[in-house]
Amino acid sequence: MFLGRVAGTVWSTVKWPQAQGLKLLLVRPYRLGDLPPGAAPVAGGTASEPTDDLVVCADTLDAGPGDDVIVAFGHAARVALSETLPPGSKPMVPIDAAVVGVVDRVEIPR
Amino acid sequence: MIRGTVVGQVWATRKARGLDGQTLLLVAACDAEGRATGRLVVASDTLDARAGEDVTVAFGSGARNVLRPGPENRDVLCDAAIAAIVEGAG
Repeated sequence: MFLGRVAGTVWSTVKWPQAQGLKLLLVRPYRLGDLPPGAAPVAGGTASEPTDDLVVCADTLDAGPGDDVIVAFGHAARVALSETLPPGSKPMVPIDAAVVGVVDRVEIPR
Repeated sequence: MIRGTVVGQVWATRKARGLDGQTLLLVAACDAEGRATGRLVVASDTLDARAGEDVTVAFGSGARNVLRPGPENRDVLCDAAIAAIVEGAG
C-alpha cells in the first residue's frame, strides 16, 4: 500500500466490459521528503505536495481531488472492490490498484 | 521483501471493511547501505513496531500470510505487512 494525494480523475469510454461503472482516480504517492516530521498531511495540512509518478486507482470510497488516500495494489485491490459486489462474487476486473482508505491523520514523530 | 524504517502511522475512518482492525504504519524503504531511498510504503503491523525501528516488509501473498497464515487467506485485504523487526544487517 502507499499514501498519496488524489490529483484528478480519469474517464474512458472504450474499456474492458467488467470495468464499466468503476471510477478511476489519479493518485500521486508521497515520498519521504514530502512529509515533514510531526506533519498531518491531510487535505489543508502543512505537508508539501507529493512528488512521485501518478498511479491510476479504482475508487469505491468516493474520494476526490485533494484527499489523502491509502492505495492497495494487486490482489488486495480486487479484495477491496469485491466488498461492493454481492457476497461470493469475484471482481473479475483488470484492476491492480484501488483506494482502500481516506486518510484522517498521519503522525510522524520528530 | 524490503527493508525499511518505521517513520509514522496512518489513520483512516472511511475505509474498506477489510482494513478494519489493522494498524497501518508508514515505512521508509532503505537501500543496501541503510539509507532511505525516499520511497514510502504503508504496511500493516502485527508486531507492534515503533517509529525509528528497522523492519522488513513483505508484499503480496507473503503479506497475507503475516496477517492470517494458511491457504484460506485470499479474502484478506493486505498487500504489505511488517514481517520482522530488524536487529542487525551487514
